[in-house]
Amino acid sequence: MVRLLTHNLLACHARNCTSNNFPLELRDVSVALREADYSEDFLRGFIPRLEWPALVQAAKQLGEDSLPEEPLDPATATEEQLKALHHVLLEVHIEEGSMVCPGCQHVYPISNGIPNMLLAEHELARS
Amino acid sequence: MQILVRFAQSHQEFRIPELLSVAQVCGFELEIPSDADATRPFMVLDLPDEHHARLLARRCILIKAVSEFWATGATAEELHVAVKANEAAWRPYEHVSFKFLVGAYNQTISSAEQRARMESLRYMDFDGKIDLKHPELVMEWWEEYDDAGELSGLPRGEGKGLLRQIYFSRAIEDGSARTLVHKFDVKKRAYFGNTSMEAEISLLMANQTLASPGKLMYDPFVGTGSMLYTAAHFGAIVFGSDIDGRQIRGRGTEKKETPGVESAARQYGLAGRLLGCATFDVTRNPWRRGGLFDAIVTDPPYGVRAGAKRLGRKDLTKQRTSPVRLSDGILSHVKPDYIPPTRPYELADLARDLVRFARWALRPGGRLVFFLPTVTDEYAAVDIPTLEGMELVANSCQDFGSWGRRLITMRKVAQDDGERPEFPLEGLPYGGGGNGDEEHVPAHKGFRDKYFAGFKREEKEQLAASSST
Ligand SMILES: C[S@@+](CC[C@H](N)C(=O)[O-])C[C@H]1O[C@@H](n2cnc3c(N)ncnc32)[C@H](O)[C@@H]1O
Repeated sequence: MVRLLTHNLLACHARNCTSNNFPLELRDVSVALREADYSEDFLRGFIPRLEWPALVQAAKQLGEDSLPEEPLDPATATEEQLKALHHVLLEVHIEEGSMVCPGCQHVYPISNGIPNMLLAEHELARS
Repeated sequence: MQILVRFAQSHQEFRIPELLSVAQVCGFELEIPSDADATRPFMVLDLPDEHHARLLARRCILIKAVSEFWATGATAEELHVAVKANEAAWRPYEHVSFKFLVGAYNQTISSAEQRARMESLRYMDFDGKIDLKHPELVMEWWEEYDDAGELSGLPRGEGKGLLRQIYFSRAIEDGSARTLVHKFDVKKRAYFGNTSMEAEISLLMANQTLASPGKLMYDPFVGTGSMLYTAAHFGAIVFGSDIDGRQIRGRGTEKKETPGVESAARQYGLAGRLLGCATFDVTRNPWRRGGLFDAIVTDPPYGVRAGAKRLGRKDLTKQRTSPVRLSDGILSHVKPDYIPPTRPYELADLARDLVRFARWALRPGGRLVFFLPTVTDEYAAVDIPTLEGMELVANSCQDFGSWGRRLITMRKVAQDDGERPEFPLEGLPYGGGGNGDEEHVPAHKGFRDKYFAGFKREEKEQLAASSST
């Protein structure tokens, strides 16, 4: 159950990996579609917190191309646009596979729909 | 309209915070009278109308019932004077079908005595018919007694405590949120563990978060997910993380099997509000930005059932700085069974870090709701971590005798998210030292050791000190 909303909020956080650490690349992923509760308030409120290009890119990789290239405007987005956003953000689930840091190549594996975002020993700060 | 609230007999210190939170989530202002005494089972509130009382009764876990307050008195004589003085309130009901309900706290009233109480109200002169099944009006007579059992060692309600107060009112609605305590009963849950939080407290916590549709809530020490289900029940979208993925999945989960937390969410019909779960140490977290959550709700590990830990080697000089290649040529940390080393995480550090994390990760106005264990004799108000931008909303103690735990509710008043916080292993001050010049070491520091030592150490020291003088 890594929904694309979650993917949009996670960055690599290994020691010294502070740039080119987002978005994580989706690799060997298996995807499932599952319904999620629709909340217009949630979507409108969350649009400003999204990294839009990263979302569009991840969606396309998983075969979802209903999102416009330009970010939606939370004030004027139509219901149809919000429904499409809802589907991409919350109903596309990554079940297995991994997310890979574009910078340091750390592989964050996903199993049972749960990503393992733990750092390895050598990636931890020493203070 | 004056509303009489009758509370359930538990969690006294949670009563007022819950009323205030629920009023806020329902969108109305509630002023608690300055003389309100939350240790008593009855409270009279001033509300705009009956509808607001119903809203409280449908969402407050601690409300047994709400009614329209008609009169009160410390004795039956006083009560009757007050009933007669307030005739304007009850006269309109003189022709409707009705019944009486007579009850008492800490006392049993025999049916003969109950009848005598009803008879004593004859002067109201109602001519509606008595209807025990579907009355249009239910009048409630409640007597509150001292708990004589508490003093004499008898069970509650036995022995004759002194009468403290009588209330007379018109029933409006029974509290319906209390049935959720059964719905979320841990033992009936598809997935739970020995850290699962009991249903009633999980529900009280969810109310403190102001959970409602469209909000996003997060538990960074999610374990088996108890608080996710109750927050989601009230409409929130929820996310959880834990340093130990087995807590989220359940032990021995096969590949592709549904994780435990998701099974429980499905059982409640809440899977559509479970954003997801992830495995990580909250002090080394992958959140891309702050300002994400409407609430952070959590029961941090305080060492009694599962000790707090964080990533890193206990002996920092031994912590590796480069990856290790195993004899089979594979880097050790990419193996599927790789588990990074962990070190103990002092509770006082954790509490301080949690507030710093929340200051960043919450949206402005968002709430942090968490438990802090305290050693009863040593607790001081300054033990609650303080931080610029975070304001204390409520602090309710659940008392277990020599120790307790406090449910702390804070609000992010800062309008910015500030810098992404780091959580260094050492060297951060605890804050909250009263005047600010001196470092205050919170009493919950070393809580685990104190718990297992039975909180006896200080007592022994005191004994030793007094016997040597
Ligand atoms: C008291 S339990 C929470 C129980 C949970 N409320 C439930 O219903 O099961 C605390 C949890 O915190 C986790 N934990 C301990 N240290 C942590 C850390 N540094 N970061 C994230 N989780 C941690 C433990 O694995 C444990 O599951």
